[in-house]
Amino acid sequence: MENTPTVDQAAAAQEQISLSVLKKRWLKFKSIKRGYYAFIILITAYIISFFLPLLINNRALVVKYEGEIWFPVFQGYIAGSTFGEDVPGEANYRELKVKFKSEKGNWVIMPPYPYGPYEDVTTAGNKMYEEPGRGHWFGTDNTGRDVFSRLLYGFNISLSFAILFTIASYLIGVSIGAMMGYFGGKFDLITQRFIEIWATLPFLFVMIIISSIVRPNFFLLIVILTLFGWIGMTYYMRAEFYREKTKDYVAAAISMGQTHKKIIFKHILPNSLVPIITYFPFAVIGGIGSLVGLDFLGFGLPPPTPSWGQMVSVGLQNMVKWWMVLAPLGALFTTLLLIVFIGEAIREAFDPRVYSRLR
Amino acid sequence: MSDKQKLVDVKNLKVHFPLFGGVLSRRVATVKAVDGISFSIKRKETIGLVGESGCGKTTVGRALVAILRQLYPDVEIDGSITYNFNGKSVDFARLKPRELRKYRSKVQMIFQDPFASLNPRMTVAQIISEPLQLHTKMNDSEMKDRVGWLLDKVGLQPEQAYRYPHEFSGGQRQRVGIARALATNPDLIICDEPVSALDVSIQAQVINLMMDLQEEFGMSYLFIAHDLSVVEHIADRIAVMYLGNVVEFGESSTVYYDPRHPYSKALLSAVPRPDPHRQRESRIVLEGDVPTPLNKPSGCGFRTRCPLAEKSCAEEIPVLEEHALEHWVACPIVKEKNAG
Ligand SMILES: Nc1ncnc2c1ncn2[C@@H]1O[C@H](COP(=O)(O)OP(=O)(O)OP(=O)(O)O)[C@@H](O)[C@H]1O
Ligand SMILES: [Mg+2]
Repeated sequence: MENTPTVDQAAAAQEQISLSVLKKRWLKFKSIKRGYYAFIILITAYIISFFLPLLINNRALVVKYEGEIWFPVFQGYIAGSTFGEDVPGEANYRELKVKFKSEKGNWVIMPPYPYGPYEDVTTAGNKMYEEPGRGHWFGTDNTGRDVFSRLLYGFNISLSFAILFTIASYLIGVSIGAMMGYFGGKFDLITQRFIEIWATLPFLFVMIIISSIVRPNFFLLIVILTLFGWIGMTYYMRAEFYREKTKDYVAAAISMGQTHKKIIFKHILPNSLVPIITYFPFAVIGGIGSLVGLDFLGFGLPPPTPSWGQMVSVGLQNMVKWWMVLAPLGALFTTLLLIVFIGEAIREAFDPRVYSRLR
Repeated sequence: MSDKQKLVDVKNLKVHFPLFGGVLSRRVATVKAVDGISFSIKRKETIGLVGESGCGKTTVGRALVAILRQLYPDVEIDGSITYNFNGKSVDFARLKPRELRKYRSKVQMIFQDPFASLNPRMTVAQIISEPLQLHTKMNDSEMKDRVGWLLDKVGLQPEQAYRYPHEFSGGQRQRVGIARALATNPDLIICDEPVSALDVSIQAQVINLMMDLQEEFGMSYLFIAHDLSVVEHIADRIAVMYLGNVVEFGESSTVYYDPRHPYSKALLSAVPRPDPHRQRESRIVLEGDVPTPLNKPSGCGFRTRCPLAEKSCAEEIPVLEEHALEHWVACPIVKEKNAG
């Protein structure tokens, strides 16, 4: 063979010029400022919310007591008597801090916002229905818990719940829809009939029945919601795969003996991402809405969990305490608005009219 | 012509697509896209397959690369497509997908629409190396070299390997498609109207490239087109199709200059040719529309538009008969006339 030109040399330079369609869309998304900033804000807030126990907590970060160092945030429950405190059960670190001020060598470092989401009236020093102020920024609720603290923990739970729910129902919906569109024929027919029957199951009744038998927890709720939530995506995926399969690049892949699995996931799926990505934010909104609704009705997460639906529900029972209603509704509104901005920008970035030739 | 030279022998191939309808998805009709055709392709030979739109050319091509069953699970395929790979004969119409996989590298396809036949989410390097990954044991650097070499062969710069298809022109994309088909050293390449989507100025370039490649690598082509003048240039033999059947098959010059079947005559009279040897014939204009393969006329498919049609044409589907040496025509009326 002669000296054939190698591919490597120019490759590095070329790779920068040749942006994949997805990269171009990301750049377009970035240029839509409102959606992009909403995305940055939400992602930042979500990441920070995983470190909430360090920022907002009634457990101390560090306690030094008689020469020994304790990390209650990480160690969990420590009885009050350990620190020579005369309280039943867990230590009250806020009081401990006040007490240690006068004791030499002993000290407590509290998180910046020293109220946890699970404290209630049984803990000394808590007051019910406290108005928003310097201590409790958004006041306290009917059991003396700090509303601000519960709100932020609830943010993490709501968003995690909605994202996990969306991913789970997409995994099922995309796979089944993809197979329906790709294999067609009898498989498609039978699955379609099954979906039609499945879709008529009354979700709320099933939910009520299930939660009367078992106390739903975070993951069980996701599983149950997913059982009903995967169907929507199959419609889009089925149509996408049905259309894409008629294109000759699929014929080419089959003619070289590529496996069905590779054709579905490597060839067609990357060309069918548009509905998946554009509907993702709206599915997350749906997930948050479902959780709020279920919590509101009392079929959701078990009570001490800081959840927005339960907060709205309790708030509405105590309408006069305006902060208990406005805070969760405001948080819900802001979060959903941010996600809508993101979804809107994604939709615009994926508008086929812009890149119609590239699709 | 000994059988040894034969690469593939298609015998009485039928491809029917059932159509389903109604609530219970019952079979309501059958599209007889290909309805009993026979021809053969020799090694290093180019067969031209011509016919009007919808006559089943693409379906024949797809049957030969054996992708119909995967594309349309309901399809009914009958007859045989016997390949002869180095003395081993295999019937693509009957092989199981698992066994087929071993032979897939031997038969490749170039597609009509260069915008749809390349995956827009893959770089050219990924597209061309996919068949290599499936059929060879090359490592990454060997594969890179091979991709660069293939791109060079089809007249593209190896540096373009990391670009995406949408950054290429139609002609360049078709060259990428050719490189992909060439990657595994196939014995046969099905070319499904490879130039009909391209500018006229580029058509000739691509056709010349394909002829050069055939010269160099010695594969056979099944060249599908509806333009006879293109086919006459590249093909050794020509098969003329009408409504799922081959109506005439023979040496390219014979079919081109001495068509026997009334349909071929009509098709050829439409081609403007500056040809001094051929006396000026008046253009034959066919009456009526092409019947659909859903609802074929009985007997000869062409009889509804044929100037020579007789009563007997409605009775049987005419078979190809050798009217002259290596010149096959499916029309008993023409045979009678020539004999008488
Ligand atoms: N999957 C299918 N289901 C039903 N009918 C089909 C299918 N594929 C092809 N057909 C029909 O079979 C006939 C032949 O189609 P085919 O694509 O082979 O024609 P063609 O000669 O390649 O036409 P063109 O020149 O337009 O490409 C057409 O009438 C077409 O409608
Ligand atoms: Mg065609």
